[in-house]
Amino acid sequence: MSRVQVDTSGFGGFAGPVFRDGDNYSFEIAAHHLNGDDRLHGGMMMAFASIVLGDVARQVVAEKQPGAGVSALSLNCDFVSAGEKGETVTGQARVSRATRTVLFISGDIRSGERILMTVTGVYAIKEPKGA
Amino acid sequence: MRTPLPSPVDVAPPEGWRKCDLHDPFEAHLGPFFERMDETGERIFGFIADKRHANADGEVHEGMMLTFADAFLGGAANRALVGKSCVTLSMQGSFLAPARLGDFIECRTRLERKTRAILFVSGRFSVGAEDVMTVTSLWKVLGER
Repeated sequence: MSRVQVDTSGFGGFAGPVFRDGDNYSFEIAAHHLNGDDRLHGGMMMAFASIVLGDVARQVVAEKQPGAGVSALSLNCDFVSAGEKGETVTGQARVSRATRTVLFISGDIRSGERILMTVTGVYAIKEPKGA
Repeated sequence: MRTPLPSPVDVAPPEGWRKCDLHDPFEAHLGPFFERMDETGERIFGFIADKRHANADGEVHEGMMLTFADAFLGGAANRALVGKSCVTLSMQGSFLAPARLGDFIECRTRLERKTRAILFVSGRFSVGAEDVMTVTSLWKVLGER
């Protein structure tokens, strides 16, 4: 598997970069990702989680309903432990259930074996334009 | 007081608003953010969405909305504490409607409950008269149980 950058949108590129290698997502905690205590900012942890879940949602929908889009309805992020400068943060997410209109996704954000965040998301599947 | 961190883009505050002092590098990276007191003395916060904040469809990215929420719901939690600090335990965002490039997004916070160890803080985010996101959050007061 080779590593590609995901979510190169304005925010994804500017806050990231975030990479995907197979089913694994990652970013490296850099100086601009920190909070005032020199740890990973909670906002960046949630941003990474939203990029991972959003990318998984788009992939699943692209297979099931080509041309349809996704948008987040709800994200729930639990802050299990802190991330430290220089660490590589990894993320994985899986679809718990997909209906015709809604996706339920859950994921874990880790540094090595340590869980930093657990996250669940609900996404709406939007009809292809013109359908 | 520490010197506030600069943001990479200079944006003039809307009339009646002033720039927030930012001390977290990630917030400064995405700022500037603005604040003012409303008519009732409540502190409200805002930012103008530019391309640093948007997804490929020109809508404000969920990650940006939640970062803005973390910064200012955290501010509300910290203002309720004297001589103590707190960390985010949990945050849930409901995305009611998209905010778009160029929109001015405002945040109103509410301290729902404060116990010795835990704070419950909610937030309502709007563009003009339209609500775009609601957030509920839990914060842990460090050193308390």
